[in-house]
Amino acid sequence: MNEIDPAVPLRARAGDEKAFIEIVEYYYPRCLRFARNMLGSDQDAEEAVQDAFVRVFDSFPRFREDARFDPWLFRILANRCRTIHARSRRHQSLIEYGDLPVSAAAAPEEEEFGADWAEEVRVILETLPVEQKEAFLLRHVEDLSYEDIAAVTGVGLSALRMRVKRACDTLRARLTKVEK
Amino acid sequence: MITDERDEVIDRAARSLSALPMVNPMAVLEITAAAAVHRSMRPARARAVLGWFRRPSLSLASTGLLMAAALVVGFVTRAALTGAAETLGTQTSEHPVLTPAADAGAASRGVPVPMVYDAKNARSVTVVGDFNSWDPAATPMTRVGVDGPWAATVFAKPGRHVYAFLVDGTTLVADPRSPRARDNDYGGDASVLMVPTP
Repeated sequence: MNEIDPAVPLRARAGDEKAFIEIVEYYYPRCLRFARNMLGSDQDAEEAVQDAFVRVFDSFPRFREDARFDPWLFRILANRCRTIHARSRRHQSLIEYGDLPVSAAAAPEEEEFGADWAEEVRVILETLPVEQKEAFLLRHVEDLSYEDIAAVTGVGLSALRMRVKRACDTLRARLTKVEK
Repeated sequence: MITDERDEVIDRAARSLSALPMVNPMAVLEITAAAAVHRSMRPARARAVLGWFRRPSLSLASTGLLMAAALVVGFVTRAALTGAAETLGTQTSEHPVLTPAADAGAASRGVPVPMVYDAKNARSVTVVGDFNSWDPAATPMTRVGVDGPWAATVFAKPGRHVYAFLVDGTTLVADPRSPRARDNDYGGDASVLMVPTP
């Protein structure tokens, strides 16, 4: 996955608003994809991404010059997703109108993989423990290295590998059944 | 040694989750505007304004003009709150300065609320509401760019407010981004603005 020119976050850190807009335009689609996959709701995902970018903007003075931007951004975003996920679990008994689950919307991936397959992947993803889902998405969808995921989550490498392995094992076992 | 070899099944599953979503240009506008406004105020006030930005979006003009509007509104709000009016000249030199919102003591009048309204053919637009005594001269909006949206910041105390846009000095128009007001004493269409207590 290509990273943004490292000069751009440094310009934003120095107060260049155009650089911040460039960052939002560059990373918004990836951030929204991660948040949608994590939260399963377009509305929650958009809230998480907006909150994350506002926090990025506020926190730029603390962004180290020698740090890489991607893990820093995803750490903030993942924190927002965890917070919103916890809030959603507390309110999961409430029926929310006007917020279709992601799986109910037409998705481009369904054209390639078939609606049943894409839907099954999402259903299985929702059943995974949140820390496994997060690790799997960061590794295999967002294509982050384990070192970067460790920076995002604050979890050690071996524990992360175990989380990803368990997520893969679950997906593999259940998807193989679907194919049979 | 734990391995996470990406076999065909996992690869297919990952790719089914990898499609990038379509991006609503308004979302990028809202983030840049929310960030600019957020930096200028205390967290409780920022939450109120963030709520404003999360209202259902409109299909408006080009993204660039909208971003310019967002930044103008944000920096005017910041300048109004900090009194750093001189910084406006450098930070928004490419864009019109919204002087009505930047007057001294504006912050004491309430929570700053950015207003953006798209009216391509209008010659003038002002914000009128109970927060400015429905005074058409109190809060004129400024067009961003040649045919961009109109933008201004109003200051409203916590509570429920009714407001509208006055187009060309004659026509009251409700804000399509807000709930419609049913109790407008002023006459014409109007909208409801809820400003939470900071």
